[in-house]
Amino acid sequence: MTEISVPQTTKPAPLDGRRGAPRMSLAKLAEAYALVVALLVLVGVFGLLRPEAFLSWSNISTMLGSQAVLVVLTMALIIPLTGGDFDLSVASMLTLSSMLIAVMNAQMGINIFIAMGTALVIGAVVGAINSWFILYFRIPSLIVTLGTGTFINGIVLWISGSMTISGLDQGLIDYVVVRRILGVPLAFYYALALCAALWYFFDYTTPGRRLLFVGRGREVARLSGIRVDRVRFYSLIASGVLAAAAGILYAGTIGAADPLSGLTFLLPGFAAAFLGATSISPGRFNPWGSLVAVYFLVAGITGLTILGIQTFVQNLFYGGGLVIAVALSQLVRNREAQDFT
Amino acid sequence: MTPHHHAWRISGGLLLAAMLLCGRANAATPDLAAAKADVDAHSVLPNFTAPGASFDARACMKGKKILTMPVSSANPFTKNIALAEIATGKQLGFQVTEWENQARPTQWVQGMEFAINNKYDAVDLLGGVNPQVIGPQIAAARKAGIKVFTSHLYDTIQKPDASVDYSLQIPYHKVGELLADWVTLKTGGHVNAIIIGSDEIIPTAPFVKAIKDRLAEVCGKGCKWTYVNAPVPEWSTKIQSSVQSALIADPTINYVIPIYDSMSQFVIPAITITGRKDKVKIATFNGTPFVIDAIQRGNVQMDVGESLGWIARSILDGYMRDLCGLPTYSELYVPFYIFDKSNAKNAGTPADYDRGYGDKHVVGYQTLWQMK
Repeated sequence: MTEISVPQTTKPAPLDGRRGAPRMSLAKLAEAYALVVALLVLVGVFGLLRPEAFLSWSNISTMLGSQAVLVVLTMALIIPLTGGDFDLSVASMLTLSSMLIAVMNAQMGINIFIAMGTALVIGAVVGAINSWFILYFRIPSLIVTLGTGTFINGIVLWISGSMTISGLDQGLIDYVVVRRILGVPLAFYYALALCAALWYFFDYTTPGRRLLFVGRGREVARLSGIRVDRVRFYSLIASGVLAAAAGILYAGTIGAADPLSGLTFLLPGFAAAFLGATSISPGRFNPWGSLVAVYFLVAGITGLTILGIQTFVQNLFYGGGLVIAVALSQLVRNREAQDFT
Repeated sequence: MTPHHHAWRISGGLLLAAMLLCGRANAATPDLAAAKADVDAHSVLPNFTAPGASFDARACMKGKKILTMPVSSANPFTKNIALAEIATGKQLGFQVTEWENQARPTQWVQGMEFAINNKYDAVDLLGGVNPQVIGPQIAAARKAGIKVFTSHLYDTIQKPDASVDYSLQIPYHKVGELLADWVTLKTGGHVNAIIIGSDEIIPTAPFVKAIKDRLAEVCGKGCKWTYVNAPVPEWSTKIQSSVQSALIADPTINYVIPIYDSMSQFVIPAITITGRKDKVKIATFNGTPFVIDAIQRGNVQMDVGESLGWIARSILDGYMRDLCGLPTYSELYVPFYIFDKSNAKNAGTPADYDRGYGDKHVVGYQTLWQMK
């Protein structure tokens, strides 16, 4: 007998309460923590194969500290994604922010705090420009942010003269990757604090719940009295500011800024956001899920590197891991249609 | 044959075997003198030696024009060579135009068509434009009477693509040997290095092979290395994580050799974050300003540099000889010069592209081209 799957947003109440309810909760639990279990399995496997290298605290602290930029960029993505908007300009904003800091601080000798503040303000301005085009002209966010992202790339090439600029204030580098707590660079704790703040925002504040409602159904939200455009406006500004913050961390991590490398974070950021949406709070973009997703992917790549596996296998893991994890999550959900927008 | 003869023969054989074994053991010990000689030779400011007979460049290039197409105008290395070519062409009274692009093959195709439509005499595929990617356009250009050249692309031990008229090649393998000599010398023959390359870049294979072969030759059995391939689009995501993992997996690693120095910006944080700054050094190639700045700050130990002004003049010298029907040469005449803590400041603070190499090439080429 073939069962036809009908896309639905709410599941019907189980007819058989005696059998249905416990199975549902178990399935939900399995779905919510499958990625966490997968991460633990991955760590276990690599730990068995190369315990002295993979399970060493120096390796774990290095993994945690070096991926903070990706975590923050993923947080910048999930805010507009929750409200139903794509922001493809985040990686460009990250690059602009790091380059702006390098030009202002290393080339012009401006105080690092003023440079960082300027980068954050520019992030907000870019967010405002994105939202003005999206909301006033009613253009899909995908198109607008694709355009503004490319525009920003041009500005970065222009202000940098296509050059890598080094010589950033050592204080920034110290407070990002050199200083440590429990052996882990401070960058990780910044990312962790941001995750906690966003989790609180999404789950325990009125604006956070409004953003979720807007993402789930704009018309319903509008009819419920939510000022949809205002919510989307602020979500895009938050995205720009957080992308700029990711740029500050990136500049502090590599101690320099170059006009291109930051752009490569876009796809890993989206991969982590979508993979994270299958975990902890399945079906919703959520900060803890995204954090687990980032470190699931990083643990896999690091383990393969330590084993000396060739580069192409890392790409197979990255791409394959994302698709398989989302597919397995869908199996647990009985292939229920997911609407991330 | 007497037993006495047998005894002599056996003892002679044993002696020979012992000598061979000793010989092998000697080859396995580091040859620091050879390494030092190579390093010393590249630590003095380069002197100009005319690469060919003098000729009147201004007269023979009158009315000619060259289109130079860097692999990317966003790549500061090739961009600045292109700018230096334009300036040099202007001094000689002929037109050199840059085809601005961002490393997209479709833009290179457009550039070739632009050269055909605007009747250029030659196209310079500079620093990485792979002729195989634009084969039909090269054929069309040559059919239209345009000479197609490549510069700073192939190693001198590689065979250039047959579709182009003339190639000015760089001895990347000699840089590889120099890097191997440097790390051998600095460690006293106890190298444990990570070599990072990008296999898709044409000269990477002979470059990396030269490092490995030279390490085997001068450093011997006490040295080891691992190779990491990081394709260019993945430098920012692969290099840092690979170096971090390698440093953690093997705490005895003492050198990282990113063969193109722009990779260093991802190696430096890997060394910093793993807390190995005191033990792990970076030796690299290209002479990019921010890396020379990093030498001044102590983050990079050495960088083998090439003067971009020298490269541009050498490229034009080769092309002009070909266009004017004079005898040519295949090796781009560019000396390699080592920057380390002792001389990095000569490149300026912050470092500049064409500073620190002296100016003998400027006067040298002016004389060679009969500009004086």
